[in-house]
Amino acid sequence: MDHEALAHEMRGLREQVTGITDTAVAASDGLLIAADTADSIDPEGLAALAAAGLGLARRTAQATARGTLRRTVTYGSHGCAAFYAVGDTALMVVLGDEGLDVDRLHRATQPALDRIGSILMNKTAEGV
Amino acid sequence: MSGYELLARSLAACGREGLTGELRVAGTPGGVFHLRGGLVVSVESPGAPGAEALLLRSGRVSGEQWAALVREAGGARWPGTGLIAHGFAGAAQLRVVCTMALRDAVFAIVAGRVEECEHAEPGLEPPAPVAVGEPPSRLLQDASRKLAALAAMPRPVHPDRERPRPVGELDGPFSELRWDLLTHADGRRTSRDLAFRTGRGVYTVTVEVARMLAEGLLECAPAPTPIPVRTPPEGLRHRTPPPPSPPPPEQTSPVDLPRRRPGGFFRLRNGSPG
Repeated sequence: MDHEALAHEMRGLREQVTGITDTAVAASDGLLIAADTADSIDPEGLAALAAAGLGLARRTAQATARGTLRRTVTYGSHGCAAFYAVGDTALMVVLGDEGLDVDRLHRATQPALDRIGSILMNKTAEGV
Repeated sequence: MSGYELLARSLAACGREGLTGELRVAGTPGGVFHLRGGLVVSVESPGAPGAEALLLRSGRVSGEQWAALVREAGGARWPGTGLIAHGFAGAAQLRVVCTMALRDAVFAIVAGRVEECEHAEPGLEPPAPVAVGEPPSRLLQDASRKLAALAAMPRPVHPDRERPRPVGELDGPFSELRWDLLTHADGRRTSRDLAFRTGRGVYTVTVEVARMLAEGLLECAPAPTPIPVRTPPEGLRHRTPPPPSPPPPEQTSPVDLPRRRPGGFFRLRNGSPG
């Protein structure tokens, strides 16, 4: 896996969209792969929460015939936490403060998710 | 400060035409000007904390209290009347907070990059509007003056560029603002991020960060901290798809449903009504 390329994508997203405070990438079972997070965040716990949250949301979408899950976003009074599936092998977490424009985040995230998915699958194919 | 001329022209046209609506500014951080009769009553930008963030982050109102106020106001974005009625802020204080937030958002937009300006019909109610709107030209002059003041400082700082961190162990009599900045500056946050984190205006924070950099209390790391990446030991596995939902039960004729009889089970368990 190209570690540098993955780190570049994560840092690039934070610099591209105003209001992103932290990002993390994990396997779909919640095992942390990379974290660009502040010291106040426990990245391992965050990855596990994201895996559980996406799993629950996916089951909810299925049980209610809402189609394919796109993302989950948790809104709080101090910002939001967005969980995205990266293909069917991984996930990405984006945390933002109150200023984050969530629509803009979703637009910026889609191409980044594709690139991150490619970086991760190269790893699997190469077995590195 | 890129695209300033475009923004100035667009806002001037809004003022001349007495526009009531929105001017959406695409860019980084960009934002939205809300106008009534050509005067600006509210400005939103991802680059500066709005009045809601200022009140919540400063601890003046808790998240639960804010939610209750919004419910009481019928879901309004800005529960201004409730804030005053419940004593969270005085009317004059609230006016100051709204005006500061408006001017701070204009500063953030002007300090950033403006790519496109687009007029739009009035959308959602503007957040934290000021009672008397401000002429666009005055707002732009105020923002330009602040940018010039910032650029003239010994160690100029951009609200969304430098990511400072404290220099070594610090002790000493610092103002509350400085303690807040020393506590939260971690080499990851910009002045804009610190403004949101501490619930203060982005201009105020940017100026203080510039002063603290010049005084050697803060420093900027030469390179960002590397992001640790590790490979899952067993590689990435494809997620197991959830089992398909069971087929819905076959429809049975309504005549098969048991019919509830008055005085049946419910009355046995709970007694006769009345």
